[in-house]
Amino acid sequence: MLSNATVWALVVLLQSSIVPRGSRSEVFNQILQVFLWLGTAVGVVVIAYMCWKAYKYRASGGHVDESAVDRPDLGELPQGSGGGRKLFVSFSMSAIIVVSLIAWTYGTLLFVEESPSVEETGGDELVIEVVGSQFMWTFVYPNGHESRTLRAPVDREVKLRVTSADVFHNFGVPGLRVKTDAIPGQQTDTWFRAEETGTHTAHCYELCGSGHSYMDAEVRIMEQQAYEEWYSNTTPSNATATPSGDGASDHGRLRLPTGVNA
Amino acid sequence: MSDDEATRPDGGASDGHAQADGGSAEAAGNPVTPEVPAVDHDTGGFFETDGLPDSASIKRWLVTTNHKDVGILYLATSLFFLVFGGVLALLMRIQLWVPRAAGEGILGPVAYNQAVSAHGLLMVFWFLSPFAFGFANYIVPLQIGAKDLAFPRLNALSYWLYLFSGLLYGVSFFQGSAFSGGWTMYAPLSVPSFLPSIGATTSVLALVLFVASVTIGSVNFLTTMHRMRAKGLSIRDLPLFTWTILLTVWMMLFAFAALLAALMILSSDRLLGTTYFAQTNDAGSMLWTHLFWFFGHPEVYIVFFPALGVMAETFQTFTGRRIVGRKWFIGAMILVALQSFGVWMHHMFLTSINLQAKTLFMATTIGISLPFDLMVFALIYTLVKGDIRFKTPFLFSFGALVLFIVGGITGVFLGAVVLDYEFRGTYWVVAHFHYVMVGGVTALVGGLYYWFPKITGRMYDEFLGKVHFAMYFVGFNLLYFPMFVVWETPRRVFAYQSSFAPWHQIATIGGFLLGSSFLVMFYNLYRSVWDGEIASDNPWEYASTAEWTIPSPPPLENFPGIPDYTDGHLSFRDDSADAAADGGVVDTASGGGELAHETGHEDHHVSHASIWPFVVGVGSFLTLLGASGFRNGSLVDGGMGGVYLGLLLTGAVVTLGSLVAMTVEPFHGPDVTHSEKWPFDGVENTKLGMWIFLASDVVLFGAFIGSYAFVRVAYGWQDWHHLIPAAHVPLPGLINTYLLLTSSFSVVVAMVAAQKEKKGWLLGSLVTTFVLGVAFLVNKALEWQHLFHVHSEAFPQGWDLSTNIASSTFYLTTGLHGAHVAVGLLITLYMIVRAARGAYLGNDEPIEYFGLYWHFVDIVWLFLFPLFYIL
Repeated sequence: MLSNATVWALVVLLQSSIVPRGSRSEVFNQILQVFLWLGTAVGVVVIAYMCWKAYKYRASGGHVDESAVDRPDLGELPQGSGGGRKLFVSFSMSAIIVVSLIAWTYGTLLFVEESPSVEETGGDELVIEVVGSQFMWTFVYPNGHESRTLRAPVDREVKLRVTSADVFHNFGVPGLRVKTDAIPGQQTDTWFRAEETGTHTAHCYELCGSGHSYMDAEVRIMEQQAYEEWYSNTTPSNATATPSGDGASDHGRLRLPTGVNA
Repeated sequence: MSDDEATRPDGGASDGHAQADGGSAEAAGNPVTPEVPAVDHDTGGFFETDGLPDSASIKRWLVTTNHKDVGILYLATSLFFLVFGGVLALLMRIQLWVPRAAGEGILGPVAYNQAVSAHGLLMVFWFLSPFAFGFANYIVPLQIGAKDLAFPRLNALSYWLYLFSGLLYGVSFFQGSAFSGGWTMYAPLSVPSFLPSIGATTSVLALVLFVASVTIGSVNFLTTMHRMRAKGLSIRDLPLFTWTILLTVWMMLFAFAALLAALMILSSDRLLGTTYFAQTNDAGSMLWTHLFWFFGHPEVYIVFFPALGVMAETFQTFTGRRIVGRKWFIGAMILVALQSFGVWMHHMFLTSINLQAKTLFMATTIGISLPFDLMVFALIYTLVKGDIRFKTPFLFSFGALVLFIVGGITGVFLGAVVLDYEFRGTYWVVAHFHYVMVGGVTALVGGLYYWFPKITGRMYDEFLGKVHFAMYFVGFNLLYFPMFVVWETPRRVFAYQSSFAPWHQIATIGGFLLGSSFLVMFYNLYRSVWDGEIASDNPWEYASTAEWTIPSPPPLENFPGIPDYTDGHLSFRDDSADAAADGGVVDTASGGGELAHETGHEDHHVSHASIWPFVVGVGSFLTLLGASGFRNGSLVDGGMGGVYLGLLLTGAVVTLGSLVAMTVEPFHGPDVTHSEKWPFDGVENTKLGMWIFLASDVVLFGAFIGSYAFVRVAYGWQDWHHLIPAAHVPLPGLINTYLLLTSSFSVVVAMVAAQKEKKGWLLGSLVTTFVLGVAFLVNKALEWQHLFHVHSEAFPQGWDLSTNIASSTFYLTTGLHGAHVAVGLLITLYMIVRAARGAYLGNDEPIEYFGLYWHFVDIVWLFLFPLFYIL
């Protein structure tokens, strides 16, 4: 139901620099800043206005000419007082702010949802599978190597394909602003690009049982060179490396989703 | 109306209002209220009529069906659960004082998860809604001018099921461990292979019982509000609090039916061993999130709307201004209520739903936030030109609006999907929804102070009320605001980044301040009930709704006459005379009018006390406690198994017996001769109640059929056939289709026979219906027996409930239908016995209402048969 004008406006937004792009951290921080400033401003204005009016029209304030005001009457059929226009103006203003803010972020959503293009990934896509299980994360590399630590090269798009071997988990690395649900029998995709080398911690963000508080993993962002070196020395993990009892058989062999919005 | 206002001297003196209202006083009959005698303030002021014992005796509270008594019971019980849930929250806050290693602190990991889950469930289900419904019970009939709810005993039943469901949840803590999978109960963590304790099952069953209570309550409130308004009070003219309750109850009716479906499936997975949510079902996790959030999002408005209603009422009263843009306010609420069923996937932005779905639900989410902007502005502009008195109720309402604004703005953050991706599962979400939900609680606490003088006949202590507000408001913000600051803390963990500790410590201190503020309230209200200043009928200047025109507390029969708004102002007409002789009132020739009219005379000597709702509550409690001893279709091992079985059987006997006793007991609902009933003029109360109940049942079956379709599509619609043995043929289903259709016909014959007063035909057709229904069940039993013991290459172990997802959906969905048939047969049996004694002749309504149910059950089968036998 989008009119042409709206589509056009969206295209302009997408192509212009108004829409935040870059790494996920940059995008998130830019948008959050704008929301925080605007949200605070709106909140302060509205609450201040409300307190001011409440103070001004306090019972002992004497700001109202009582003979000119029509007070409610016990037992009357409920009715309203006028003021519809003022109400509508304020409502429209708030609607414009909210809708434009969300439309603005929608451009970024489209950007975030796009899979990294070939130019961006340098031809070979790096896809790492992430498997959640009570209460640990297992990372499976393209060559079948499994690890408890997520190693990834700096300055390169890394695609994560996330699922769970038992219950509903949620994989998130706050330092990289990447997060997605880990659902048994389903696969969710997300990506990140780290700008600096260093270490981050991944957490589980969905209650998954008694060990939920400690379901963390180390994320190590390495120089590209170092990563390649490390990667070339890895070998496919065989079935004897059982990470987690029962669920282990699923590791490395992801149970792919069977048709629901994959 | 405006003419009256113009002539009225605006003195502004508090109680002189009615008298000063010269213009309309005579016609309105308004000033009769001060003369209404016999309010005995010394004994708490409750009347002793209608066969109810004195309010000082415990028995009174066990047998009462009066809406005001039930309202008080709801309020008291919900406050108990507030303390229960609150203590759990404080335990959590103590645990969060510093980041803990496993086993450190006062709560172990499993105990912490139990506290998290129980806190959420108790506060949302057992505190918030019932607290609001305490007011709804007490105030709504007064505001619409009804003597009581349409079905007073069902109202008492709602309460007792609510209380016993809460007690059942309490018991679950002592059965190993209560449910510990979070209040959202995500699958597959919720199934026994991950949460094996019996207590977890009991918690789920407690919720089922709670939903039963809510459904009965919804049917009752909807019938009441649609059929029992005072003359001249159209739906459009309802006071805003009643409006919010009306919309809340409509949302409840449908949303809780979806939750009931989800909980029944979960219970079946836990008790009978079906595999909907098992890890082996690839679509199970997503199925749960869809079902849960389809309920869960309307639930947000279900708990918030009554608070909005309290805000609207108190703003109008304490500013002395009618609300700005009333029509828009109501329109906005209706929009929200409708739209609330179309936003659920915004809780699932990070699941495997696709971009199109995300975009759509982002749009509907923004759409639903906008009407709230309008409502907030309407409340704010109502302040302008007010005569604002900062009494305790207004302070709480005003504070609630401030908190709601903060909650709303931080909610817009979550509507931006890119931000939501990062906020998901963090304290941002926790802080946001506590600002909204506990913001709502704030307004409801205001409501408690507002209506306290009406309910008890005494004033609370204003100074202590203000102290409560100050502690509450400061404590609230100390508790929840720091959560925005350290939003990166993951939810439901107690090991967090140590640099966050100072903020969490502030939050903990705030939590204790907030909690202790309630001690002030309890002290204040407790003292005031006994020693408070006597409250007048209307202690609040500018209050305008009907509850303030009658004594505080109101007498059992509520009004001194028949409430009437025909001339734009509430008046009470004489109801002592025969209604026919009551010249002033034009009797609408409504369908059920005569029936209700007839019973109206008996009103005075028929007892309004009934012990059976209480006994049904006890029976359900025992039944479900016994049921919790099952796992995968068999009893738990050891001696406890026998105990559970005994509880189950005892409970079943008690429940069934008391239901029969309740049906046999003579009892008459309130008279509706003089009410406004649009758009249900031609429908009798019980019939409307049946229709409304069936509407919720449609959603229940819809959710079951939807679940079936969802898992089947996920599995592969055609591949599904591999999960079903060749022995599963359409023939038994086809036979059953014919059996049911014939039985529907025989019910119609029974109805006609009753109309024509032909006893033989009536009995014959009822017995035919019964026999056909029994044949349906026997045929089904034979079919199931056969399938259970299939021996084929693909199914060497037979094809039972837990064989695979196809068998689970087949047995559970058709089983739910079979249970409906069984219930229908019990009713038929009861009717056969009564018909044999000469009942129903010339009075076919009961058979008609049963027919509605029976035809509905048939129609459901017409959907199930192709879905489970042919496609």
